[in-house]
Amino acid sequence: MGGNAEGTGAVVNARIYVLEVPENEGFLKVASQDPNVTIDKVGPYFRITADDDLVIDRRATGCRHAVWYSAIAGLEDSFIVQQDKDALRVSAR
Amino acid sequence: MTEKKVHRVRGVDHIAYPTFDPVGTVRFYRDVLKFPIVHSICAAGWGPEKHPDFIHFFFDIGNDDRIAFFYYFGLKPFGDQSAPGDSWARLDSDTPQFFVNSRHLAIHVDDEEDLLEYRSRLDESEWPVEMQVMHETIESIYTHDPNGYMIEITRALRPVTAQEDHDAALTIDALCDVAAGEDPSMDKLLTRKAELIVERAAAWEETQKELVQS
Repeated sequence: MGGNAEGTGAVVNARIYVLEVPENEGFLKVASQDPNVTIDKVGPYFRITADDDLVIDRRATGCRHAVWYSAIAGLEDSFIVQQDKDALRVSAR
Repeated sequence: MTEKKVHRVRGVDHIAYPTFDPVGTVRFYRDVLKFPIVHSICAAGWGPEKHPDFIHFFFDIGNDDRIAFFYYFGLKPFGDQSAPGDSWARLDSDTPQFFVNSRHLAIHVDDEEDLLEYRSRLDESEWPVEMQVMHETIESIYTHDPNGYMIEITRALRPVTAQEDHDAALTIDALCDVAAGEDPSMDKLLTRKAELIVERAAAWEETQKELVQS
């Protein structure tokens, strides 16, 4: 994986957690269509890891605003660069 | 003898607000929303603080829960009445609207039909719905009553799930951790929460297995 420091165990990718609820399905669908993104399950959360920045187009998710602005449950070694009506962008910290 | 539960409270008995406009308040709650009047107290003022004579009156908001008002004879509103706020308190003129509206009573209805029924009652009155919002898991309508109190009527879009209860517990633990430290922020909360998500994943899987087995 591009930005991952293989073998060192250090994660340098953008990585977020999203709770498994029906409202987040559109968000997850868009994320899963990105070839640079891997998704796995940690407890009741989806862990979304991107090779580079994680970028999600809001309109493609179909999320209404209240859902969109509360979709992120956790940030792992990452920070939110952009989260507005157009898109979410998360970068490795 | 069966052990009593830790959590013993039984919902809202009543929420109480002062009013300087009892006529408008009765029109809003009894005539527009059609909430029955269920109780009232007419009390003579007494005591060392020269309490005014007052009426304390209650409207049924369902489930035997009530919203109540105090009307004090002869009492004039406090503070600059052109400033933001309500009959209980006026705030500084530069107070943002989101803060003014943050304290509110939300009343539950069962379904969309009932929500829209209250919407039409309000829209036909002097207090039309100011906002109808589809939140994460609820849909709500909002207006301000004649006293300036924000009132919300809301319906659940679906039942709350076990994973949301789990998520709420993690959020609150993360919030307490970051709020006890320097410069609390959403960034710090979400970073702390990611740690808790990983730490407690195994325990979550365990409870899910137990649920399946039982």
